[in-house]
Amino acid sequence: MTLDPDNAQAAIEYCYDQGWSDGLPVVPASRPLVDAFLAQTRRSPKEVIGRNKQVDRECTVELAAINAAMAGCRPEYFPVVLAAWEALMRDRAAGGGGWQSTSGPAPLIVVNGPVRTRLGFNCGGGVFGPGYRPNATVARAIGLIVRNVYGILPGVLEQATQGLPGRWSICLGENEEESPWPPLAVAAGQPEGTSAVSAMLLRTCEFVDNRHTQDPEQVLWDIADTISRTGSLIFRDTSAGVVFGPEHAQLLGKSGFSREDVQAWLVEHCGRTRAQLRRAGKDGVGENGVRFADGTTDPDDETFEPILPSPQHVPVMVAGSRNAAMSMVVRVFGLWSGQAVPVEGVR
Amino acid sequence: MVNAILDPTGGAAGARLGVALASPRARLEGATIGLLENTKHNAALFLEELGRLLVDRYGAAGVLARTKRAFALPVPDELLEEIAGSCQAVVIGVGDCGSCSGSAVADGVAFERRGIPAAVICTDAFAVTADAMAALRGAPGYRYATTAHPVAVLTPDEVRKRAEETLPQVVEILAGGQG
Repeated sequence: MTLDPDNAQAAIEYCYDQGWSDGLPVVPASRPLVDAFLAQTRRSPKEVIGRNKQVDRECTVELAAINAAMAGCRPEYFPVVLAAWEALMRDRAAGGGGWQSTSGPAPLIVVNGPVRTRLGFNCGGGVFGPGYRPNATVARAIGLIVRNVYGILPGVLEQATQGLPGRWSICLGENEEESPWPPLAVAAGQPEGTSAVSAMLLRTCEFVDNRHTQDPEQVLWDIADTISRTGSLIFRDTSAGVVFGPEHAQLLGKSGFSREDVQAWLVEHCGRTRAQLRRAGKDGVGENGVRFADGTTDPDDETFEPILPSPQHVPVMVAGSRNAAMSMVVRVFGLWSGQAVPVEGVR
Repeated sequence: MVNAILDPTGGAAGARLGVALASPRARLEGATIGLLENTKHNAALFLEELGRLLVDRYGAAGVLARTKRAFALPVPDELLEEIAGSCQAVVIGVGDCGSCSGSAVADGVAFERRGIPAAVICTDAFAVTADAMAALRGAPGYRYATTAHPVAVLTPDEVRKRAEETLPQVVEILAGGQG
């Protein structure tokens, strides 16, 4: 068979003309291709898997399959897309106004279990991307569903002020093999060995590069300093997760820190003094929980205000290469559901 | 055989309910005005001041102030019924963010359909969203009141001034200029 680039290009341009693309070329979806996706699930094509009250639209399994195909997924990725979508449906911010928000949040999708290796999800070097088809296309599929099925288009119903790097492209396989802790999906309620997907919305990510200490608390203090920035404080409290690189995670693990210990340490130590909050115009907290410039705080008030109220506000996972001691602070939008969704087995 | 390219959108958006603005428009004199604020910073004061002006200058009988807790979502049915059951007009706002501007307009259209003239306040930065939501709700061209963005940073006196400047638009929308 001779492949026909001219026909392929014409089909891609057709999809652009319909407004179906996120800016990059999509794979034009045909009936046989979408049927191959649908063959990967026992769920009915007509089953409704998402409903957005604001725009009064519903997403079905069939529409998700079309968009996953267009995103460049292989059919066997489709159960992971469905699990990622379901995990996002359990996220309060995504079910609220998250997709339309001026904050323009990006889903962080985390894949655990045997499905990672079976489908080739990257869990190691360069895990935030790009370069790996499963990671790149599963995340993109979510973005195409929001755009095409819900009709939430950038600049119209989607009102991101600046957006952020990585929207619709962050999907991590957890590096379970080099993590000292149980998989995130286990912490999120699934049995050991389950293929499952967790998801949350992010405002952004920020690296913590700390390669020259053997003291686990120095690493945690460095991470706490990044988490504690006032810029991300909108409400009284905030959420921030950590995607530990294996080297930092192993240092902590070897020093006796469990995941829960790390979460508790960060809840205790992340925050700012009232004087620092005043300086940034965020010392007041209104009835709606929103911070504002109260101005009545004593400029020398050294009272410490913690900003992470609970471990659920601090999702902790491990991904990346062990080739350098770096970790990534992820700024979670709202509150992570704390639930992982199992990936349906192939029929 | 050539395969068709499949549509990923599920077809064109709603507009199932058709346009139905409340008619006749409100008679403000003697009316109870619903104020539906959405928890956004300064929204409650903005609406409270508009309510006061409608009472003082247009003879409204009083106001019924209520809060919509989830600013991104449509007004809950019970709250809509409570306001619609005792008010002859409603002021809604302030739509000053991506999700709340759209949902404020959706609420305005819902009240109109229920027969209650509704004036939605959005900041001018969100006109595109407001227009898109009105069309999505089957009310393309639905009129709402705009005020300059931002509102959240204003002092209380500035909010009151802004409310007064918005009053003519609100009266025009609610009463069709008849006061």
